[in-house]
Amino acid sequence: MLKNLCQKMFGRSLWVYHANSGGCNGCDIEVLNALTPYYDAERFGIKLVGSPRHADVMLCQGPAMRSTAQALKRAYEAMPAPKLVFAIGSCACGGGVWFDSYAVLGPVEKIIPVSYYVPGCPPRPEAIIYGVAVALGIVDKKIAPLEFKELELPIPRYHPDQLHGQGELVVYEKAEKL
Amino acid sequence: MSLLSKLEETMLCLKAGRVTLPYPARPALAPEQFRGRPIFDASKCIGCAGCANNCPAREILVFDVCQEIRILKYLGRRCTYCGRCAEVCPEKAITMSRDFETATNHNGDLGQRLELFMSTCQRCGRCFKPASALEELKMKGYRFDDLQNERWIFRAQARLEGDPVVDDIAIELD
Amino acid sequence: MNVLWAILGGLANVGVILLAAPLAQGLLRKITARIQSRQGPPLLQPYFDLLKLLGKEDIESGECPSMQRFAAYLALAVVLTLACLLPMGFSAPFGSAGDVIVLVYLLTVSGICTLLAGLAAGSTYSLLGISREMMTMITLEPLFAIALIVGAVHTNSLRLDTVLNGSVYGAAGIPWSGVIMLGVMSLSFQAFVQRVPFDISEAETELMEGPLAEYSGPKLALFKYAQMAKLIIYSALFVALFAPWGASLMFPIGWLLFWIKVFALVLLVTLIAATHARYRIDQAIRFFASLVGVSVVALILASYGY
Repeated sequence: MLKNLCQKMFGRSLWVYHANSGGCNGCDIEVLNALTPYYDAERFGIKLVGSPRHADVMLCQGPAMRSTAQALKRAYEAMPAPKLVFAIGSCACGGGVWFDSYAVLGPVEKIIPVSYYVPGCPPRPEAIIYGVAVALGIVDKKIAPLEFKELELPIPRYHPDQLHGQGELVVYEKAEKL
Repeated sequence: MSLLSKLEETMLCLKAGRVTLPYPARPALAPEQFRGRPIFDASKCIGCAGCANNCPAREILVFDVCQEIRILKYLGRRCTYCGRCAEVCPEKAITMSRDFETATNHNGDLGQRLELFMSTCQRCGRCFKPASALEELKMKGYRFDDLQNERWIFRAQARLEGDPVVDDIAIELD
Repeated sequence: MNVLWAILGGLANVGVILLAAPLAQGLLRKITARIQSRQGPPLLQPYFDLLKLLGKEDIESGECPSMQRFAAYLALAVVLTLACLLPMGFSAPFGSAGDVIVLVYLLTVSGICTLLAGLAAGSTYSLLGISREMMTMITLEPLFAIALIVGAVHTNSLRLDTVLNGSVYGAAGIPWSGVIMLGVMSLSFQAFVQRVPFDISEAETELMEGPLAEYSGPKLALFKYAQMAKLIIYSALFVALFAPWGASLMFPIGWLLFWIKVFALVLLVTLIAATHARYRIDQAIRFFASLVGVSVVALILASYGY
């Protein structure tokens, strides 16, 4: 019973550890903005702590660099379960514009498993608070993949798989009536 | 460290009241020129892949299934919301919306995929040769450097009778 | 019968401390937030924090895990023992079980728990944190000890219930030593409860991790609880020593008056904490050393009867 209560309290008081593994500090500043009085993240019970052992959530920003990959992995392993990882900014979500640089290994998920992504360059403090609210279940996720497919094609299309060659003759299997 | 100054400081802060924006409760609108998530409008897109060529993060991928079908895939993960794709698009099919609430727990949610039908040239199929890098460097239009004072003059628009030279190098954008 | 009452009173004291300490901390955070013009966490936030910490996994790291466990248990145990020795609106349940010296030693042991914790962790940051804590303790603990001893000198006894009854003011005329000690204790109170501007060693998670760096989960909850309870314990000691008027009234009124005084002191601590910046260690040591000098003067005056 006490265990249940403790698990329910997890969402009410998240202690955050901020780990910057090679970013430009833009997302750093936006994260610190989220803790200022204007966007106050402390009203959700979020507190910034200095040691990964005290923290529940690790806010990663910056791509995973070759030099800090080891340190990031150790900081992740130092956090006690249950834990969440937020990847803040385009660099942490997908590598950013530096994804093919010699010093960058890639996005943060190449090293540690990420729970929530907050893209942006840098993401607005409201976007970061929105990400936290999605993680806490206060609001619903708003984004979904968009897909567009032309269903009606004006001329018959020939897919290479459906063309067969017989000598000099190229036969189209499913010829539609024009 | 006087006591009075601290009391004054407290009074000032208390007078400001509570400045916290009630953000998730009340929606926040981004300012006018905010560059949020780009939205690809498939009805206007002609499949020229100008956006893909221009993206600094190589975020837009282009794949030709056959001569008539071109797939444009915007991954959305590395996008820095710079807006170059929207600026370059000849049909204005890409709009930088003001949407910033894009947090998700799955990376694939950020992608947009367009499968487009490409018309073919009636005579030869689709033939199109883009300008080479050298051709792009050429300054087109009329040239009128200052021969007497031996100075370069750049103009974006070709004009024969131009304004008098203001400075050493006068770069004017139209 | 007396023993039964003592035990019940002790348990009641302990229970009240356990319930009220996070509330005082919550009040402190909320008022700090309001002074900073923001909304701030809900009042019951420290309860949520402690419950969440109890539910986390317990990673045993650091050089000496058994010492870490011992330090964590000792921290909360000492604070709860102190609760039994204090008069909190009614006379102390175990008041006759110890005297002033026991009180001073218990207060010091609660500071030593932090040192043990930092030593057991063994990381660079925690060693640096405890070195600062040691320096602070050397110059800080004498202040409280001298306050109690001034009271003891005035009443010529070391018993807790006589000393903790406003005895600092002495009997006759203007209580010079009492007033001086009141000033000294007010100036250094922030350091005892480990709040800005003097929270150099422990709550210094912003600058360095401090001695509590290697603690996670339930043991961290014990330390945080001990920190929260120290605020109430020290406020209760301050009230009992320097502002005990009305403690001898009837049960509900005296008790309520006591708690009003304690929460007024918590409010004062909050106001000072919200408007100041943290001191450097050398500035703080200089400050305390000068206060120790002043309090020695007060002790000399007290021994002459002033």
